[in-house]
Amino acid sequence: MDQRRHEIVAWIGSDILPHEAEVRRWLARRLSGAQVDDVVQEAYCRLIALDGVSHIENGRAYFYITVRSIIAAQVRRARIVRIDSVAEMGALNIIEDEPSPERVVWARRELDRVRSLIEGLPERCRQVFVLRRVEGISQKEIARRLGISESTVESQAVRGLKLVLKAISEGEQETPMARGFERRGGNGRNRTRTR
Amino acid sequence: MAETARERDDAAAGWAVRLEEHGEEPGVAEAARAWLEGDPMREGALARAQAALSLLNRGRALAGQLRVAPRRNRRLMIGGGIGVALAASLAISVVLPDGRPIHTDLGEIRMVPLSDGSTATVNTDSALRVSIRDRTRRVRLEKGEAWFKVAHDRARPFIVEAGEVRVRAVGTAFSVRVRDGGADVLVTEGVVETWIAGRSDRTIRIASGSKAHVSPEQPAQAVAAQAEIDRDLAWRNGEIALDGRTLAAAAEQFNRYNRRKLVVEDPQLAGERLVGRFATDDPIEFASAAATTLGARVAVDDSTIRLYRR
Repeated sequence: MDQRRHEIVAWIGSDILPHEAEVRRWLARRLSGAQVDDVVQEAYCRLIALDGVSHIENGRAYFYITVRSIIAAQVRRARIVRIDSVAEMGALNIIEDEPSPERVVWARRELDRVRSLIEGLPERCRQVFVLRRVEGISQKEIARRLGISESTVESQAVRGLKLVLKAISEGEQETPMARGFERRGGNGRNRTRTR
Repeated sequence: MAETARERDDAAAGWAVRLEEHGEEPGVAEAARAWLEGDPMREGALARAQAALSLLNRGRALAGQLRVAPRRNRRLMIGGGIGVALAASLAISVVLPDGRPIHTDLGEIRMVPLSDGSTATVNTDSALRVSIRDRTRRVRLEKGEAWFKVAHDRARPFIVEAGEVRVRAVGTAFSVRVRDGGADVLVTEGVVETWIAGRSDRTIRIASGSKAHVSPEQPAQAVAAQAEIDRDLAWRNGEIALDGRTLAAAAEQFNRYNRRKLVVEDPQLAGERLVGRFATDDPIEFASAAATTLGARVAVDDSTIRLYRR
């Protein structure tokens, strides 16, 4: 991985992924599930294609703006039908609304979140994740310690990562933000939002 | 049936782990490359999976003591770059002899210490004349914009004149920008009084964190606007802060500082909103970042940087 890509990947991890569940919920009020997935994926395509990210101060706002410009482009190409209106997107005042305290809270809770993501995994996955990600032990050594093959360690790692990605997209482990912005109650999937 | 985003995400998880564990082994990177080339959206899926691994790798900090490590500060990280840009563009001149004019060229930002201990930070393409006397301190802002950090001296009020607009301070910090037949007054510390020459009965006070547009046409009103003030005074650090401004407004900002002008003809593109902080003297960097985000293209020639969509 070249340096630029490495930097952007790290930035996506710290400044973008934390907001994915929220962005998805915002999108889900406008688009079908498969469309949400496509828009989010395209957003990551655009982010990884950036020349650099040091000028971006606010990942969350940048994420929203990227997603909005993708939707706007799709509306122009008339690929999306179930969108309420483009004007409504403008009504979402994500900029003025931007809570830097939320960011601060997030930063403080980053490790808590990593911990809960790992703890939410099935036992064998979790074991592998703790040894690999937290203790920094090699796959080979993990295989030896757990008495399993190296390819099993790796397939557990892949399985775990898939589950973590799913958890990130659903925000299941999310701690309610201090501001109460889109605070969720219980399992808030597919919840209708009242305005 | 075409591959779905979820399927790409799942496949990307495999590639992310494989690249991390075996990226150095022969053939692995090539195989990943071939997979990526199968669909442009796979690039986004892989970036996301790798970002999740990068996030999880912060779990290292959980080993041993569970202290929450301070997060590195992105703003400070890029501060180094800005510092260098500033050192180049922000020349600090010697204390100014009284009454001499101060000019800045396009793109130049200068901090000028005044003989009374105050400083004037002068923005691009500006002109002002300073006269520090025994009884008064007067600055005539002929064009452009300046931010004044006024040394406290109750006996000698500090008065800025911009056209018909007058701004008086004792010890405080504020900026004045000549605009639209009047002036924008932004206060960052203390309180100033402002009025139109000959109409001091209509003096208004502007406190820290508030601003007003003062002009002979209509009575001025101070409004609280801390966030806008911070944004509008980012130039003091050699930066343009966008924070949700339209591309058109961003172009206008950059064009205050650079000979090569940003041009956005497409009104839809011009209306897109952006966030971020950019160096005042690097419109090309800004243009390419904006183009990538907004799905636009950039064409640069000697006098313009054009942003357009096909």
